Amino acid sequence: MAISVKVLDRPHPETTSYLRASLKGMALTFRHIARRKVTQQYPEDQTDLSPRWRGTHRMEVHADGRPKCVACGLCPTGGPANCIRLVGGEDDQGNRYPVVYEIDEFRCIFCGMCQEVCPVEAIHVGRHFENAEYTRDRFVYDLDRLMEQEHPATLLWDPSDPRSE
Amino acid sequence: MADTPATVTLTIDGREVTVPKGTTLLKAATEAGKDVPHYCYHDGLSSPAQCRLCLVEVEGAPKPMPSCVTQAMDGQVVRTESELALDMRKGVLEFYLVNHPLDCPICDMSGECNLQNYVHEEGREHGRSREPKRVFGRDDFGGDVLYYGDRCVMCTRCVRFMSEVEQDHRLTVVERGSRSVIDTFFEEGLEGTHWHGNVVDICPVGALVSKDFLYKARAWDLTHTPGVCPNCSQGCNIDLHVRDNLVQRLKPRENLEVNAFWMCDYGRGNYEWINRGDRLEAPLVREGGSTRAMGWKDALSRLLAGVEGASGKGIRAVASPFSSNEDLAALRALVDEFGGGEIVYRSARAEDEIVLKGFPTLARRRDLAPNGKGADLLGMKRVGGDDATGGLEGVAGHGGIVIVLGDALADQGADFGSAAALYVYLGGHGGPATANAHFVLPTATFAETEGTFTNFEGRVQRFAPALDAPGASRPAWLVLNALVAERTQGEVPRTAAAAFAVAGTKAGPFAGMRYDEIGPRGAVVNETVSLSGD
Repeated sequence: MAISVKVLDRPHPETTSYLRASLKGMALTFRHIARRKVTQQYPEDQTDLSPRWRGTHRMEVHADGRPKCVACGLCPTGGPANCIRLVGGEDDQGNRYPVVYEIDEFRCIFCGMCQEVCPVEAIHVGRHFENAEYTRDRFVYDLDRLMEQEHPATLLWDPSDPRSE
Repeated sequence: MADTPATVTLTIDGREVTVPKGTTLLKAATEAGKDVPHYCYHDGLSSPAQCRLCLVEVEGAPKPMPSCVTQAMDGQVVRTESELALDMRKGVLEFYLVNHPLDCPICDMSGECNLQNYVHEEGREHGRSREPKRVFGRDDFGGDVLYYGDRCVMCTRCVRFMSEVEQDHRLTVVERGSRSVIDTFFEEGLEGTHWHGNVVDICPVGALVSKDFLYKARAWDLTHTPGVCPNCSQGCNIDLHVRDNLVQRLKPRENLEVNAFWMCDYGRGNYEWINRGDRLEAPLVREGGSTRAMGWKDALSRLLAGVEGASGKGIRAVASPFSSNEDLAALRALVDEFGGGEIVYRSARAEDEIVLKGFPTLARRRDLAPNGKGADLLGMKRVGGDDATGGLEGVAGHGGIVIVLGDALADQGADFGSAAALYVYLGGHGGPATANAHFVLPTATFAETEGTFTNFEGRVQRFAPALDAPGASRPAWLVLNALVAERTQGEVPRTAAAAFAVAGTKAGPFAGMRYDEIGPRGAVVNETVSLSGD
């Protein structure tokens, strides 16, 4: 096919009036004044999170303040992002517990597998996303920090039916 | 009975197999490629046929037969996966789970547990039992063993190991029915026995667990590398279980010629030294008064010049019986190349041997190093006391070349090698005695390289690298052979196989052996007197 050049018939600045186009544009603008606003005044106005929202992790604790985690090792195994570091050990009562439990929230892809596989309902992804920090290392959440999280767990998990039975 | 055939032919799951007469159905099924689930049966123990899990359907038999004790007969038709056999196993497994606590998340056996595997493959999806499970709690058996009674499936492998193999009746079954538990006699426990770690290995569930390994790592996180136990000259075949570049535990690997299925508690518990940190990571060369780290190429060219300059005054070398045959042969080759000299080694000796009564060719040998025999075969001389100290008077003050390979020189002072014209130290850790060294070269340990050890009876066995060597560490054979090759303008052996061939040229017993023909059971060196008669 031979190469051809298409010449466009462009409006010429000296012979064309823009008045009609300007009025058309302004009409659109004024139409929007009457419409419902879509802009949200975040952070004053908070967004509604989806019921399937999976955000910052939290660790459930027993009444006496111990973490519910038994260091079974399923969450680092099940999760695809290799973001959980877990070292198990024995506490003074002979129970298995996590000596080290760290989640790197940067590595994490928030798949929610850790919550899915947890046999003791200890680790959860939460309804929370505002975890900005000033330094990168603060994004590695250790066990104490995970236990201190106050936001609710995701709605994917129903505490009244923890095993989805 | 003269015309009785020595073999029988039977059909297992539609497949015809021919096995020697007297073979059990379970073994015959393995031959046919079918693994029949079993608990109480173990290759190294008697068969009480009490777990009832290996039941298979035999055509003509009135009811399912326990395959671990039923002998194969000519023309038999066996079905291991028929509806009846599967139904039987499903039923038996359901009974096991009536009282099994299902605490897999906190059980150390999880991931390598036969109950988990069998139930996953053939068991019911949900239990039907609504009764509360019985609870025993855990019991300290002494030694390295903890007993969780709830998890026990009463296969009695541990009881039979202690009575048949270790032949020290420490364990028994007490009570009956669902209340039965394994227990020790009075408060005696397993304390003082030398092979009790094996009951943890043979326990098919998590009832017997190791205190040392308790809650340390999950089974699926560990990589298993075949190796040879470095803790005595028996050379037991082991697997190194590694996580995060650290050895987490040692487990025996089957080799009927050496250790069968067992290993001693001394060897099993003695692995922390392999993980020792503070390693040398780069070649250190002394120039003038100061020591400088440099790359291998620079260090080796300086070393070659140094050795050639000082070789007129004789060489004395110290080797380590923890070095592989390849390392030792390379040292021998280097010493021979530069005029020859005496090579000595030091190794610790225990008071006595600890023999496993049920398998008497296996013992914790007196010689507490894996390759003393290899050093002997390469013409090295053992010096010093039974605690691996002393004996280096001739080397410490030697005025020629001093080469130390692997020996940490822990008992030597800072004046070691001060008179030497050239002092070369190859090893993993520096110390006071390396202060005078002109060259400190970081070498990899046995766990970080490929190689072979020669055990007390002259059996050469291969091991594989389980850990990553730190920094610029290289196998000692590579370093030493590179020096020899530089001098002779020969080719540097770049593989362990080529390095092993050097041993063949340096010691007659190794001649004719090929690295890749050693095989999984090891190969005995060509000595005139061979203890194993292999």
